[in-house]
Amino acid sequence: MTFLQPAMLAALPIIALPIIIHLINQRRFQTIRWAAMMFLLAANRMSRGYARIRQWLILLFRTLAVAGLIMAVSRPLASGWLGLAAGGRADATLILLDRSSSMWQQGQGTALTKLESGKQQLHRSLSLLQSGRWLLVDSAHNKATEIEGADSLLSLPDTSPVSASADIPALLQTAYAYVQANRPSRTEVWICSDLRQNDWNADGGRWQTIRESFQELPQGVRFHLLAYPDADPRNRSIRVTGVRRHENASGAELLLSLKVEQTTGSEETVKIPVQLEIEGARSEITVELSGGAVELKDHAVPIERVQTRGWGRVSIPADSNASDNEFFFVFDRPTPRKTILVSDDPAAVTALQLAAAIGPDPSTPCEAETLGPDQLASVPWETVSLLMWHAPLPTGEMADTIRAFAKRGGQVIFFPPTALSNDGFAGVKWTDWNEAPNAIPISTWTGDQGLLANSQSGAALPVGQLKVQRYCEIEGETTTLASLQNGAPLLARAITDERNIYFCGTTPAAKDSSLATDGVVLYVMLQRAIATGASVLGNTRQLIAGEINPATTEQWQPLSRREDVLSTDYAYQAGVYQAEEKLFAVNRSEAEDRPMVVADAPLAGLFQGLDFDRVDEKAGSSTSLIEEIWRLFLAIMMLALILEAALCIPRRPQPETITAGFPGATRRAAA
Amino acid sequence: MLHDRRTASFIDPQALARLAAVPLFARKPMLGNVSGKHASPHRGASVEFAEYRKYVPGDDLRRLDWRAYGRSDRFYVKEFEADTNLRCCLIFDTSGSMDFGSTGITKIEYARRIAGSLAYLAIQQGDAVGLSCVADRVVRTIPPRRTPAHLRGVFNILEHAEPKGDTKLAARLHELAETIRQRALVVIISDLFIEPAELKSAFEHLRFRKHDVAVFHLLDPLELGFTFKRPMRFLDMEGGPSIFAEPNDIADRYQAALKTYLDDIKTGVLESAIDYHRVSIDESYEQVLMRFLVGRTRSRGAR
Repeated sequence: MTFLQPAMLAALPIIALPIIIHLINQRRFQTIRWAAMMFLLAANRMSRGYARIRQWLILLFRTLAVAGLIMAVSRPLASGWLGLAAGGRADATLILLDRSSSMWQQGQGTALTKLESGKQQLHRSLSLLQSGRWLLVDSAHNKATEIEGADSLLSLPDTSPVSASADIPALLQTAYAYVQANRPSRTEVWICSDLRQNDWNADGGRWQTIRESFQELPQGVRFHLLAYPDADPRNRSIRVTGVRRHENASGAELLLSLKVEQTTGSEETVKIPVQLEIEGARSEITVELSGGAVELKDHAVPIERVQTRGWGRVSIPADSNASDNEFFFVFDRPTPRKTILVSDDPAAVTALQLAAAIGPDPSTPCEAETLGPDQLASVPWETVSLLMWHAPLPTGEMADTIRAFAKRGGQVIFFPPTALSNDGFAGVKWTDWNEAPNAIPISTWTGDQGLLANSQSGAALPVGQLKVQRYCEIEGETTTLASLQNGAPLLARAITDERNIYFCGTTPAAKDSSLATDGVVLYVMLQRAIATGASVLGNTRQLIAGEINPATTEQWQPLSRREDVLSTDYAYQAGVYQAEEKLFAVNRSEAEDRPMVVADAPLAGLFQGLDFDRVDEKAGSSTSLIEEIWRLFLAIMMLALILEAALCIPRRPQPETITAGFPGATRRAAA
Repeated sequence: MLHDRRTASFIDPQALARLAAVPLFARKPMLGNVSGKHASPHRGASVEFAEYRKYVPGDDLRRLDWRAYGRSDRFYVKEFEADTNLRCCLIFDTSGSMDFGSTGITKIEYARRIAGSLAYLAIQQGDAVGLSCVADRVVRTIPPRRTPAHLRGVFNILEHAEPKGDTKLAARLHELAETIRQRALVVIISDLFIEPAELKSAFEHLRFRKHDVAVFHLLDPLELGFTFKRPMRFLDMEGGPSIFAEPNDIADRYQAALKTYLDDIKTGVLESAIDYHRVSIDESYEQVLMRFLVGRTRSRGAR
């Protein structure tokens, strides 16, 4: 319990006053010579149970009355389940606000979203507390911004909901950086979140560092988590999984693939109207949802032949979460997919050229060109999607060119050359070739993302069928995407901001591996890389909110978006934006549609060793976490006084009972 | 009668003058020495006819009823009730507890007034008065006499009686029941702070000896009300252990004990046919005595 006037608690010893007075009173007895001792002796022999309890109760109620008065003037705050035992004034209070799209979910029977409820709850609670400085760290900007007080939470634009996911570990790292830099004496950290797994990333390696960092701080940092873990089982979301423009003899059409999901599936089949809006023209289709998800593949929407590029939006009827009821997309003519293969031994990498040159869609032109390392000067890099490098790692000017290529979004895959050099690229270099007597299978690979991710239907790629006879060790700091049975990495990604430089530990040559003979994996891997590289070349791009550099959005003009979105928040808000000739569709990440939350035990483990408390709330809850409860103590005081008075009323027999045998007394009473 | 002597401090002549208007009667036949106002168990020479009895040789011929002989041709002797005086034995409790009084008068002082007044009234109407002061023993006793000079002695004893010692009233009553000659008026003036069962036994003994027993049970208003506010240390006036008590704590149990005791006493005196008067000593003793005398007037006549 916290007190707004903790100094008044110094008067708490006064609660002993009734006991002291009682003891003094006991010592201030009078002495009387008494005749009727036989009744006193008889009274002493009688049971003293009730009398003794009554005496103790009277003392207890008197003590309670005094304690109630002192507590009331100390202005206590009820902290609900939060153990704000220390109380007092914090030097700095940091509010870590999860603004992710899942926080848009409304509570049952209320129009308030989790984010609004959290803000109001924090406003109600924190406005009663005192703090030297108030800081807001919101999940979109991830910067500690000083605010005037808890009142600002309701009015600041930085507390409005966004479509971007939250990165709670990053917020905590920001909080830690602030505490370390400013060294406030006592810091309170309030986290308001819905505990989504994708926001918390509880399995990530950063948590241990965060824990240890906070534990090492000399000053006390206390964490309070205001959690909204409840998910609406009937919430539905819509997502466009693919869109492409297709021309045929009769005209042009847009082939739209979309997916509608429900948080908890049911056997019942539900018809859901889906609104399609393409360049402002609206139409509606109906999908039948059964089991929890329905996917519509290549739904053809006829468009004008002259409409080569544009934008659109799909939406479903409103439900508890408005953020996942719409999805934006942009479309354009397919961009030519150009791949440059640099090799000092072109014969060895024919399979690579073939896999890159044959596109999955006949309407999308694909091209692969094999060059020697010395022919790169003539390459038009602005049209290249993928660069495959099968030569000693580039150095000097050549390396700068490739770095620039990667910087603008081009994909790069390095294959080990026959003759290894000692040079490195992006902090990675090849070591010696290893030749295994027996072919080594691939034991582990990352199936949820990256080049080897599972297919859209969820089926895994047949990576396990690959066999590797010769491989080259990869040295340097990388993220391993696939590794051999002996632990050696086969496919690794260099740690760069763009995450688009890969190193493959073997080649498709028959003496090295079965990449070419079991060509599915190689083909999918290359086509994915090409598609990703091509996506930054076209005039339209599908982007994920929160993963966009805000600096690039300065020239953006909104074409379709929520009305109350600030121009500075385009990088975090879903919508369609235009910059010069380019169209950008910004949407929430796919992980935002997954309703999984971090379980209680792992969550407690994340804050193990830290001063942490948690309260689970529901959206729309109007009970304040903290409120002044001096009235309660006044009521306790009054109740104690009334009970004390009731107990103090002497219990005496009826007067006529005793005076019944006194005729004179009766007459006197009558007179 | 008292004008030529120094008046005792506890005697109020005016009150006595008012009380003298009502005679003191016994509820039972008394055995006295001389003729008086009270019924006797024997036949005598009063004017009140009692019965006819057959003449037996030796009877005084002057008592033959010649009219009855004339009607029945048989000799009958006509008998009349005897009137006698009574012996009033005052048993005066001088135990230590009688020294208590919260209203400006102690119980022993109150008892002196009752005893002194009764002694005066009895002797004034020719009855004999005796006095026994009892505490843990019979402190002082004088036998009943009916002379006015004897009254002075009674007053002297009353005046000099000191409240001292334990209450052993039951034992002393048993003792006095044996020593007082049968058929006397025994008046007990005490606070009766003994067990009701013991007291009842003593009363039964007195009744067995055909005494007419009257009891003045003196209680102080403070003893009845127990209206203390502060913690008190109670010192036993009869030398027992002291008790420390918080009045609020003990009052209800004290009252319960007192009520039980008074109920038991009441039951005891009703079963023993005792003329019982419970007196709160803030009441005027004159009214108490008037009630006593008037009550006896109503119950007079049994032989």
